[in-house]
Amino acid sequence: MHPTTLMYTSSLLLMFAVLLYPLLVTFTSLPLNNDWASSHAKTAVKSAFLISLAPLSLFLSTGMEAVTSSWTWMVTTTLDITLSFKFDHYSIIFIPIALYVTWSILEFATWYMHSDPLMNRFFKYLLTFLVAMLILVSANNLFQLFIGWEGVGIMSFLLIGWWHGRADANTAALQAVLYNRVGDIGLILGMAWLATNVNSWDIQQMFILSKNLDMTLPLLGLILAATGKSAQFGLHPWLPAAMEGPTPVSALLHSSTMVVAGIFLLIRMSPLMENNQTALTLCLCLGALTTMFTATCALTQNDIKKIVAFSTSSQLGLMMVTIGLNQPQLAFLHICTHAFFKAMLFLCSGSVIHSLNDEQDIRKMGGLHHLAPFTSSCLTVGSLALTGTPFLAGFFSKDAIIEALNTSHVNAWALTLTLIATSFTAIYSLRVIFFVTMGTPRFLPLSPINENNPAVINPLKRLAWGSIFGGLLVMLNINLFKTPVLTMPAELKLAALAVSILGLLTALELATLTSKQFKVTPLRTPHHFSTSLGFVPAIIHRQIPQLSLLLGQKIASQMVDQTWLEKTGPKAIANATTPLASATSNMQQGLIKTYLTLFLMTLVLVTLISTT
Amino acid sequence: MLKILIPTLFLLPTTWLTSSKWLWPTALTQSMLIALGSITWLNNTTDTGWTALNSYIGTDPLSTPLLVLSCWLLPLMLLASQNHLSSEPINRQRMYITLLATLQLFLILAFGATEMIMFYVMFEATLIPTLLVITRWGNQTERLNAGTYFLFYTLAGSLPLLVALLMLQNNTGTLSLLIIPYAKPLLLMPFGSKIWWAACMIAFLVKMPLYGMHLWLPKAHVEAPVAGSMVLAAVLLKLGGYGMMRLMIVLDPLSKEMVYPFIVLALWGVIMTGSICLRQTDLKSLIAYSSVSHMGLVAGGILIQTPWGFTGALILMIAHGLASSALFCLANTNYERTHSRTMLLARGLQIALPLMTTWWFIASLANLALPPLPNLMGELMILTSLFNWSAWTLILTGIGTLITAAYSLYMFLMSQRGPLPQHMLALPPSYTREHLLMALHLIPLLLIILKPALLWGWFAC
Repeated sequence: MHPTTLMYTSSLLLMFAVLLYPLLVTFTSLPLNNDWASSHAKTAVKSAFLISLAPLSLFLSTGMEAVTSSWTWMVTTTLDITLSFKFDHYSIIFIPIALYVTWSILEFATWYMHSDPLMNRFFKYLLTFLVAMLILVSANNLFQLFIGWEGVGIMSFLLIGWWHGRADANTAALQAVLYNRVGDIGLILGMAWLATNVNSWDIQQMFILSKNLDMTLPLLGLILAATGKSAQFGLHPWLPAAMEGPTPVSALLHSSTMVVAGIFLLIRMSPLMENNQTALTLCLCLGALTTMFTATCALTQNDIKKIVAFSTSSQLGLMMVTIGLNQPQLAFLHICTHAFFKAMLFLCSGSVIHSLNDEQDIRKMGGLHHLAPFTSSCLTVGSLALTGTPFLAGFFSKDAIIEALNTSHVNAWALTLTLIATSFTAIYSLRVIFFVTMGTPRFLPLSPINENNPAVINPLKRLAWGSIFGGLLVMLNINLFKTPVLTMPAELKLAALAVSILGLLTALELATLTSKQFKVTPLRTPHHFSTSLGFVPAIIHRQIPQLSLLLGQKIASQMVDQTWLEKTGPKAIANATTPLASATSNMQQGLIKTYLTLFLMTLVLVTLISTT
Repeated sequence: MLKILIPTLFLLPTTWLTSSKWLWPTALTQSMLIALGSITWLNNTTDTGWTALNSYIGTDPLSTPLLVLSCWLLPLMLLASQNHLSSEPINRQRMYITLLATLQLFLILAFGATEMIMFYVMFEATLIPTLLVITRWGNQTERLNAGTYFLFYTLAGSLPLLVALLMLQNNTGTLSLLIIPYAKPLLLMPFGSKIWWAACMIAFLVKMPLYGMHLWLPKAHVEAPVAGSMVLAAVLLKLGGYGMMRLMIVLDPLSKEMVYPFIVLALWGVIMTGSICLRQTDLKSLIAYSSVSHMGLVAGGILIQTPWGFTGALILMIAHGLASSALFCLANTNYERTHSRTMLLARGLQIALPLMTTWWFIASLANLALPPLPNLMGELMILTSLFNWSAWTLILTGIGTLITAAYSLYMFLMSQRGPLPQHMLALPPSYTREHLLMALHLIPLLLIILKPALLWGWFAC
């Protein structure tokens, strides 16, 4: 093997080994040290990040991509599954970013969770979660991808339900798994179809072999899978509910793992999709609807984590729109930049929540830029990056997406929705900054505000650098396969900025309306729509469980099992034979006349039958 | 084959001749050695696949995994029963072990039989020890009813099979599994052949059990002691699947149209029994119904008769055997502590028995088929082959997987998560025996991931 190839793949596999090492250490019978979390788990992620920089630089300098197949796992009659990793430009760029972000989150968690007696276990879960995500990203066949896919799902179940004494946490955890499971049906559909028609789950083989096939059905399955995992409209309610988990979990879940997995799947599968207009249009409309709807929901939330959660959902919608535009690389770019500032926003809100003694309501915050200047600045930088302020991380991907949207021939409805959602982003981001950092304090006087801990400052600092320069770095180093349209009217070029500024101004104007008491109460109906999340949870979470539980109880159990099957089966036989048995036995009461009569009758019958 | 059969037979003298102090360790060691010895069967080297002892007993890739599973289960049953029998007089304990050993003997002969009549006889013979285990050693009075259901459902289903087999013998002149694939198909009148087909299948479909003929199963599971539930879920149900796979070859041209109602019933059963599980309050009943639901998938996989269907069914049978047996053991650890099967009464156990929670978690994940566990490989293969047969089945099977995930995690959340109720503050701790028991269930399940080809039956390459 060529030395650079060898170095490329071996350093990547070394990275996996380094990440797995602390997990394997926990299998020894010795009790773990109390500082296992920071000494092993965090260090492992940090060194894995540093290791993964080597293949990244090789990729950047030579454009090298590789597939490592090591071990033929299963051979069925027709289909082979090997353990193989795909290190192409998607995974090779995503892995360092995911590790960088996770490193920061883990360091932050050593501070955030320091009083938790089971902190080591928490870190173990986080690490497994990360490993599952990396398996998903680097998988070269669908089966391996499915392992990572379900791995992140089930680890999110454990992590969201971390505080399992609370019923809400358990419900949220179950919700996450069930919504994801609906998506899994789609993935299974895709896998079943591909196994039947293409006869391969290997990614390159699938691309080559499916050229002349109508891929609509499996693509619908994959889109359903992405809808579940990436919380697109219809299967979105689990994402805000997942805020029941500890803040580092939310940060990890929302930035670089789990929720982007669905989008990543579609990016991976984009060569299958690029000629299928049905699938593309579906993605476009679904994404536009999601981004608009969740941005609307974010507008009126008061829980700081919920706002950030809905902004994630909205950004995921935007990524889906990009997939629908047939620009998977731009969607990937947005995943990368989004990871930095979204993780930072969550860590900032974690820091704020901790500082204000577990207060999550932004109405009870305020004035924090005097008291926690670093956190506040990071929160501001993150929000600005999210809005797409020029030359911060979000700008490079978001602006490119909206330009691509503006210059393409897609339907205007999706375009409009996306633009409105973009302006809403500015509104809710401003709202967070306004309520949390500006103005006067509205919290209790004795809040334990303290951000002077390296475990808080350092992660935030690193992510802030990422949010400022990450977009530029990634944009400079990625080669877009599709040449972007570079000439366009000035209005279209400035559309993204214009709608954002317009949103900002409208929000400020509306804020003045209330603060100057021109209009004390908001309009009720749209407000209710937004605060109760479009009434979706209220309808879906009541109707569907009620119906299926009723089916289980009334029809499946009581009507069919306990009544029909019993009465027509065993009970019917018993009921039919008991009278016969009792009649025969009642006849035999020692009366000699009865016996003689019966004997006579039998004799007559026998004679009659034998003579005829 | 003899090196397994003879030691199994000698379990009986071992049981009766060892001193009471060494009874359980000796029986356990001997059965464990048998189980370890049986693993060598997996190393199949012959070209035809058959490793035969004589013309009546042999193993092939289809029966080997099931044989190993039935040998593996005896030591586990002994481990699981040790605690609840410790208060019984010593001779009853010996009797109990004798019953279980006899059951294993019949099971080995059933799976090892190469002659269909012998398979049939052994299939019926397994009923006797199982019936005794249920009706003698169960806890509530309902056990008698459960025993009646168990016996009559199975007998009523399997008597037609005897007639059908005799007809087959009359027409083809052989019932040997080695020859019969090459014999000329049985030709009957159109209507008669349908009845014959049904007679061949119903016995196994009742045993599986197919939805609609499953009433005996939850009753038997709920009332049986832990060893009875384990062996029922892990091996006895698989007799049905095994028999179907064996006979499917003979039934070939007819099956094509005859299977429709049964596949429909099986898949519909996956959903119905799954939704029953969602409303169960009784832990053992929940696990029993989940068995019905999984065996519905197995039945579907076998009935469409594709290589993937058969392979998937076999993998799922083994994986489900280990997983559901593990769940029954876990349910029993709760039962031994709270003396109740009601889920509401044993909650928040993570705080009291933390390591048990890990076992619960892994077993629930195995039940809901998390990749890369063999349960998932089996389900995925069955789903794919059903999808290939008709794309619409994916709606049923997909909803089935969703419901399975829902009730498995519901069971996990209900029993492990949340605060510990007040009445459970003084629980005995978990024993090493119980952890060993769980480890012996789940470690094989995890190891199969590395080499699933062992369970692929005829189609392993």
